[in-house]
Amino acid sequence: MEEKNNMTAERSLEIIRESIERSQRAITKNSALPLIWWGSVVVVFSLLILYLWKYQGGPVWNVLWLALWPLGYLGNRLIDKHQTPAPPSFVGKTIGHIWASFGIVCGFIGWTVCFIGLGVLPMELIAPQGHVVCISLTSIIALCFGMGSTITGFVLKSLAIEICGIIGGVGGFFLALQFGGAEQLYVMAAVSVVSLMIPGLIVYLQNKGKE
Amino acid sequence: MFKPLDPLLHSELRLAVVSLLIGVEEAEFPYIKEQTGATAGNLSVQIDKLSAAGYVEVEKTFKGKRPCTLCRITPAGLQAFEAYVEALRTYLPVGQSS
Repeated sequence: MEEKNNMTAERSLEIIRESIERSQRAITKNSALPLIWWGSVVVVFSLLILYLWKYQGGPVWNVLWLALWPLGYLGNRLIDKHQTPAPPSFVGKTIGHIWASFGIVCGFIGWTVCFIGLGVLPMELIAPQGHVVCISLTSIIALCFGMGSTITGFVLKSLAIEICGIIGGVGGFFLALQFGGAEQLYVMAAVSVVSLMIPGLIVYLQNKGKE
Repeated sequence: MFKPLDPLLHSELRLAVVSLLIGVEEAEFPYIKEQTGATAGNLSVQIDKLSAAGYVEVEKTFKGKRPCTLCRITPAGLQAFEAYVEALRTYLPVGQSS
């Protein structure tokens, strides 16, 4: 950029707009691969656990979900190392907080219900004695997935991500109620594709186009 | 009525640097250089001018063993930028200033 001091007002505004857009693009660009990665990991785990559940011993294989977090995190760290880092910003941190919140809330609910189902924790933790409780965990997690994606879309100002989030969340919530047992994991995989992988691909292709 | 434009910000490179820093908490020197397309020498001079005016804070630190120069916009810099944008509006044709 040459040193020019005799700019017009329009040129000044153009410089401001371009600089701010470039900053936003750097953050958006770096979110593409993590979205695709986490989406892929959830799909793989969903289908693997589904197979093991159906043919190799039942719902106890849901304990494999424990391995998703460290594997996903390691992969994310590798991706971050190979990307040009975007400088810390409110937008970047907010997106991180959104998905951290998702992980904490869904992880906590999921593991509590899982441990109760396995008999490790008492049922009375979530319901008074004698009450029958039916929780569609997949519906809850699908909804949280969808909300996470939708809010990310709002923060990144990406209509595509917002729409994918809404479809994944609402669609996944109701679809999961139609299935029982291991088949619910098909829904989990589908929600992951719609809420994470497709938005990640869209952002990736958009950035490719702008380069 | 035309408002005076801050001569420190009324420069392509310095304006680009400040605009970049507005959207982030801090940025490393190589990142600013890449985004603005400026040479290292020229960028360094312009950042020094902004720092001397109190618009930008420069921190020289280390990332591991690698020296690292971090730049952040200051409250004074933010205020100056807002005033600059406000002043720009007076130069735009009527209807374009909103």
